[in-house]
Amino acid sequence: MPATHSSEQAPATAGLQPAPTAPLLVEVRDVSRSFGRVVALDGVSLVVRGGEIHALLGPNGAGKTTLLRVLTGLVEADGGHVRVAGCDPARSGRSLRARVGTVPSGDRTLYLRLSGLENLVFFGRLQGLRRRAATRRAHEVLEAVGLEEAARTPVGVYSHGMQKRLSVARALIVDPAVLLVDEATHDLDPEAAVTVRGLVRDLADRGTAIVWTTQRVDEIRGFAGAVTLLAKGRTRFSGSVPELIAHALPRRYLLRLADVRADGGPPAPALDAGLGGLGSIEATSVDAGHYVLSLEDGAVLGDALEAVRTVGFQLLSCRDERSEVEEAFLALTREEDA
Amino acid sequence: MIDAAPPDERGFSVFLREAIKLPAFARRDMIVAWSYRFAFFSDAFALVLQAFLFYFVGLLVDDSKLPEYGGSQVSYMQFVVVGIALAAFVQVGLGRVSAAMRQEQMQGTLEAILLTPTSPATIQLGSVVYDLVYVPLRTAIFLVAVAIGFGLEFNADGLVPALLVLVAFVPFVWGLGLISAAGTITFRGGSAGVGFAVALMTLASGAYFPLDLLPDWLASLAVLNPMAIAIDGMREPLLGTVSWPETVDAILILVPLSVISLLAGIFAFRQALRRERRLGTLGLY
Repeated sequence: MPATHSSEQAPATAGLQPAPTAPLLVEVRDVSRSFGRVVALDGVSLVVRGGEIHALLGPNGAGKTTLLRVLTGLVEADGGHVRVAGCDPARSGRSLRARVGTVPSGDRTLYLRLSGLENLVFFGRLQGLRRRAATRRAHEVLEAVGLEEAARTPVGVYSHGMQKRLSVARALIVDPAVLLVDEATHDLDPEAAVTVRGLVRDLADRGTAIVWTTQRVDEIRGFAGAVTLLAKGRTRFSGSVPELIAHALPRRYLLRLADVRADGGPPAPALDAGLGGLGSIEATSVDAGHYVLSLEDGAVLGDALEAVRTVGFQLLSCRDERSEVEEAFLALTREEDA
Repeated sequence: MIDAAPPDERGFSVFLREAIKLPAFARRDMIVAWSYRFAFFSDAFALVLQAFLFYFVGLLVDDSKLPEYGGSQVSYMQFVVVGIALAAFVQVGLGRVSAAMRQEQMQGTLEAILLTPTSPATIQLGSVVYDLVYVPLRTAIFLVAVAIGFGLEFNADGLVPALLVLVAFVPFVWGLGLISAAGTITFRGGSAGVGFAVALMTLASGAYFPLDLLPDWLASLAVLNPMAIAIDGMREPLLGTVSWPETVDAILILVPLSVISLLAGIFAFRQALRRERRLGTLGLY
């Protein structure tokens, strides 16, 4: 049965700022796991409270999926301490799995010859529900994820987005205390990704602790309250999303300029000459008036913009070529490589 | 705060909770099987064709070389049809038991099932529960259809003892299937020697020809073959007369063999899953 986590304990801004009194539902301390000589996890720690969305960020091979598999008991940790919804995954298999929902990364975890409804009823019954209760619950969660009209359609003809929503619906059948989501949006279009994130956020609002693994670095801003960045099995960063953004070191900017010089002439040589040793600038092939500014190490953005203005260009807009989150991600993972 | 998780329950309540999940597996597999209607009907058609094949082969066979049942001479078609039915049962049953988990693994649904609060034993049994019902039913329908179609005479009183022998034999096949499934999960690829095991058992079973035709050394080994015991235990009441002492004797030999096979299968399967968890390779295929 579902865990006895109370929705009253869930904070109003669930996902971003869990209440300090919210129950600690995922606790990972110094966990390690190797596969032969390959170290998949090396001293990883994180905690997630009820109502919190904790993003697990990292490039391919970082250890994200291995950590989720440790949390579900599919893989045993070599060392460290793991508690999920009050259970030790290595020992309390049945109790744990009654309290934890999982949205796997692949779309092959559903029976493609069965309808969405039959899939949910089947998994509901494996959760211990009687047929009638499983059917009723299946209809409820299908409606919640917007698939009620496709309930009797074979899953094999669902789109990726629909299959992913069904996968989320399956995790919702038992109202889990903890939801583990493995790269749920990596192959979804933006609209479907927003829908899936919305469903997960709703669950967090009701007090469920969410562990959300992703490589889509930008989706965690405004969505996750905390983030752990893994690279090569080690924790490179752990904290809030704004703290992660503080690691960003943007060096490339997209500028939109208006040429207000009296004498005309090709803009690129004039801009380069104006920048001097501060950096380089090149026109984008997309639109006239759009440029990419690359700063040299130690150069300050304000000085570079002033230099551009001095040689007769008016600054219309300026933005990072990449987001701060992406910059932080790259900065931190590059540190690891260095 | 969240309550401390209760320890995993054990005992009869857990047995019941697990048992009520089995119909869900059966329903799932029935829907899937029915969705492949062509395969469903072509399987039945192939079995009928096989019966025709042996009918024509039987025209070449001297019936006097066949054993007598209940003091009466039987035709080759009568003799072989019980063998065909049981050999098909072993082939389909063993093949599906061993392939069921592999299929889940290949489909990618094995991990999804293992993430539910369902025991590995229930998952394995559940994955074949449809076949455990369907295959004996298919065998019985085949026997009746062939008897009517070819005008074969079977002893109707022998149906119950023959069915009891079959029931005593089912766990033996299931146990072998579990051992094979464990091998399949561990070593990937193929059905871990199922074809070889079926061929060997069938050769030394007397399904298609009397065991007397085998070389002495092989014939003496063949009488220990559970499949041979099952076939003989079914032929006697169906083709001859019902002798409960002989039926009980056959069952008494089959039951311990079935128990050993089943226990060995469950042990091997659990060890295979445990190993996969330890290595973290369950999802690989």
